[in-house]
Amino acid sequence: MPPRTRPIDKLATAAAKCSKEGAIYGKCIVADYNNVHKDKCMTEFLKLKECYLAVYKKR
Amino acid sequence: MNSFSIRAFIPPLTRRAIPLRTTTTRRYAVQAAGAPSLEIFSQQQKWMQKERAAKNVETSRSVDYLRDEVASRLCERLLDINRHFPHVLDLGANACNLARQLTFPSPDSPDAGPRANRVGKLTAADASETLLYRDADLPFNKEVNIDRQVLKTPETLPYDSNTFDAVLSSLSMHWINDLPSVLAQVNHILKPDSPFIGVMMGGDSLFELRTSLQLAEQDRRGGVATHTSPLADVRDVGGLLQRAGFNLLTVDIDDIVVDFPDTFALMKDLQAMGESNAVISREKGAIHRDVLLAAEGIYRELHGNEDGTLPATFRLIYMIGWKPSPKQAKPLDRGTGMFSIKDFLEKDGKDGSEKS
Repeated sequence: MPPRTRPIDKLATAAAKCSKEGAIYGKCIVADYNNVHKDKCMTEFLKLKECYLAVYKKR
Repeated sequence: MNSFSIRAFIPPLTRRAIPLRTTTTRRYAVQAAGAPSLEIFSQQQKWMQKERAAKNVETSRSVDYLRDEVASRLCERLLDINRHFPHVLDLGANACNLARQLTFPSPDSPDAGPRANRVGKLTAADASETLLYRDADLPFNKEVNIDRQVLKTPETLPYDSNTFDAVLSSLSMHWINDLPSVLAQVNHILKPDSPFIGVMMGGDSLFELRTSLQLAEQDRRGGVATHTSPLADVRDVGGLLQRAGFNLLTVDIDDIVVDFPDTFALMKDLQAMGESNAVISREKGAIHRDVLLAAEGIYRELHGNEDGTLPATFRLIYMIGWKPSPKQAKPLDRGTGMFSIKDFLEKDGKDGSEKS
């Protein structure tokens, strides 16, 4: 039996493949981090999540 | 009626109840021992995390880098005191990292033999039995006279007064709810004119993780939950030691910055150390994936290094306090100075400016 991969490891590898989207999202938040409210960077986050889900499902 | 107990299926870790007052020995009264007036951290949760972390011996050993380094620096501070210590208590010993560091020679004088030469007997006390005995069969145990003792709670010290020649504490006091009480107990079990040397996480430790999780949660969920502990500040520590009755205080800080490949590696390491979140008011259960994903991007953008690694700052507060004794050196009375310190410092300043 292969050793169990922890969910956090899967999350980490998937997130590493979406570093471009992650950087765009990070820039959006950091640009004005004193004034963050819910769904401030909704569109950027959805792109990040889309990429993450695509990578996550592929494996 | 078919009744069966599900109790047997609950793993033994969760079944442990902490008896608060079990001993019937009479001791001198200390400040509110055993029943903290203000509970911030869940001691049971902390105990469980440490037990679970230590069960996985290999992973647990692989994250000893921080504790070993800090323990080594603490040993150096102990060696600065030119004395032999017949009986030393290591309070909150974790995996006995202090004992192992004592068996190595000091980096300043590699030929002087192991640092443990200056220590007679070391009593290592911790609440988590698995973590305490994790390295019990390694060779270093033979090189230092070590006695492991499992504490019932980390906040009640079952020792008689005037027992120890020194009390050390390395990276465990940041999980104690009632620091004034524990420090008062430490003062109580020390012999007169003996030092307490401790180090704890404090100040802005892990501020990068704290801020990125806060920003991520603010954006994703519209609010902030507690993910990192509230920590004591340098300013507070002096007052705490003084309140516990220590003399001749020394407090200093040391920043250790560790670079991690990503936030997940940092969180995994913290978990393997048994240092996960144990604040009572924490949100139960795991952090939401969206928040983790968002925090990764923010951490990288806000704090990331140029080479793509993520720095995590650990701020360590070292404290030294001495139990008062009539033999101890005391400050002179006011007005007995023989020369003015102002003249002395100004003379020094001139010398410095001429040199530069």
